[in-house]
Amino acid sequence: MARSNYHYAGYDRSGPRYWAKKLGIYALVIAGALWLVAPFWWTITGALSENPGAGLVVFFPAEPTLENFETLVNEVPIGRWFLNAFILAGTVTLFNVTFDTLAGYAFAKLEFFARDKIFLAFIGTMMIPGMVTLIPVYILLSELGWINTYRGLIVPFIASPFGIFLLRQHFLSLPTSLGEAARLDGCNKLQVFYHIYLPLAKPAVATLGIFTFMFSWNDFEWPLIIATSESMYTLPVALFAVQGRYTQDWGLVMATAAVMVLPIIVVFLLAQRHFIRGMTLSGMKG
Amino acid sequence: MSVKNRFGRVKDTLSTPIERLERLFNSDTNKDNFAGLLFILPNIIVFSIFLFGPVLFAFYLSFTEWNVLAGEPEWVGLDNYIDILTPPPWEDGWAVLDNPTANLWWHAVIKTSTYTLGVVPLSISGGLCAALLLDRDLRNKRLFRAAYFMPVMLSGAVSAIIWRWILNQDGIVNSLLEPIGLAHNWSGDPSTALASVMLIAIWGGIGFNMIIFLAGLQNIPEELYDAARIDGTSGWQRFRHVTWPNLQNTYFFVIVLSIIGSFQVFAIAMTFAEGGPYYATTTIAVLIYQEAFQHGSMGVAAAMAFILFSIVFVFSYYQYRVRGNGEVNY
Repeated sequence: MARSNYHYAGYDRSGPRYWAKKLGIYALVIAGALWLVAPFWWTITGALSENPGAGLVVFFPAEPTLENFETLVNEVPIGRWFLNAFILAGTVTLFNVTFDTLAGYAFAKLEFFARDKIFLAFIGTMMIPGMVTLIPVYILLSELGWINTYRGLIVPFIASPFGIFLLRQHFLSLPTSLGEAARLDGCNKLQVFYHIYLPLAKPAVATLGIFTFMFSWNDFEWPLIIATSESMYTLPVALFAVQGRYTQDWGLVMATAAVMVLPIIVVFLLAQRHFIRGMTLSGMKG
Repeated sequence: MSVKNRFGRVKDTLSTPIERLERLFNSDTNKDNFAGLLFILPNIIVFSIFLFGPVLFAFYLSFTEWNVLAGEPEWVGLDNYIDILTPPPWEDGWAVLDNPTANLWWHAVIKTSTYTLGVVPLSISGGLCAALLLDRDLRNKRLFRAAYFMPVMLSGAVSAIIWRWILNQDGIVNSLLEPIGLAHNWSGDPSTALASVMLIAIWGGIGFNMIIFLAGLQNIPEELYDAARIDGTSGWQRFRHVTWPNLQNTYFFVIVLSIIGSFQVFAIAMTFAEGGPYYATTTIAVLIYQEAFQHGSMGVAAAMAFILFSIVFVFSYYQYRVRGNGEVNY
């Protein structure tokens, strides 16, 4: 039943008090929304105006121009940065989805040696601050000669405990009897996974995929350390670098930010429920 | 066809390797040792190389003095930890913490704690208010929820750079505040730089907390509200005696998660002001980064990272212990 306030004695749906309350709530909600959305709007207006540093571009630039985007294409390798970010996020997502689905399934539906202990060890790694592993992994990669390569950017992130956790939760919610029935019908364990459970896990897999993509697309710390030459930058690091080089040219900086932010907004609007489900699950551990 | 080998075990002589593999997946025992370990093998390899191994190596490094550019790690025992944790001498009421010169650790701890004390309560109460407002019958509810959630999409680095522009000397905020005489160099002034970083974190955190609280609100049985209404309670009483106690697990979780995240804040502080001005935004993680990758002293940085780990671990462990106990205290 939908939550409704309307059918109780003493609840007045008219009169000045009701309307004042209603107005107050809307004012609050709209003020909050403006505060949270305005920076997105200003990113776009900033990118579209000639010299946003000097003037007031609160609503829309008087003379919108694409000049900043032209400068971006001509002066810096923005296409390469976009491609780098895309390759990084795409590959990391592909590997994560594969590995974490397999492991999530194993932890939920298979019985094997020390299963729960291994799972706890995996999940326990989520509390290790990134700063602890940053240094040794950097040293390891420089020994391997992987600094400033795609391998160095991608390989350390091809599996994540969060994804395993998320998929395990989903597989646990599917009835075990499904698999048992399929076994009786002659499926082997691989077929049970592939033909029975995997199709049912599609929503969770999609959530993990979209989520992982967003995280790698946004990742800053790691590419900051590994990508040492300009041609290996991903968009967040490039944004930081552009900001450092063209300090006062905010139009250019905001154009770079827009290139980075617009795909996220589009994907978010298309797959909102996945984001929200992923966030809720990440918040509702255990 | 099969024959017994000399240990009395059945030895399979005719099956091809493929058939043997198939049999492993077809075995009817309750144990799935082979399949299970095969399924988690990629993760075991990746985690061993990039998580478990590195943690052990970092622990070793934290007892050494090592400059990456100069030679091998040199064992120094607990020296790194002692150097880091020794508080600065008491002079002028620890004025040195405000204007640090050598050992930045305690300075960074104070900055990080200030940040945490500001960000955690404000982003959580903001998220709770947003959830309560957007859980009611409201026109365009979904649209508002999407708007509130949008900042969560951005990484700290990107939002910090956007805000850096908005808050810069000639930026939008100042041009709006100028007429009332409140224009200020928000990021350049040490006394407002950390507050600006906190504002950005709150801006990015409210939507996340809202989503968690909305999920918590949806788990509260509607009958509790019905019963409370029949008893003639006011809206505030329903919040105080139904919503609040039933959200207990949710806000406990959100608080611990926010504290853990806040203590590790890096990207926002780094991109907003690179730790400056005058170390005003040098948080623990920024300090570790600078120590390791700008000064090259890996041993000290590793020791700092482990002290940070132990702070975070206390909260993680506490959460892990309390999580199981799902009682509600009205």
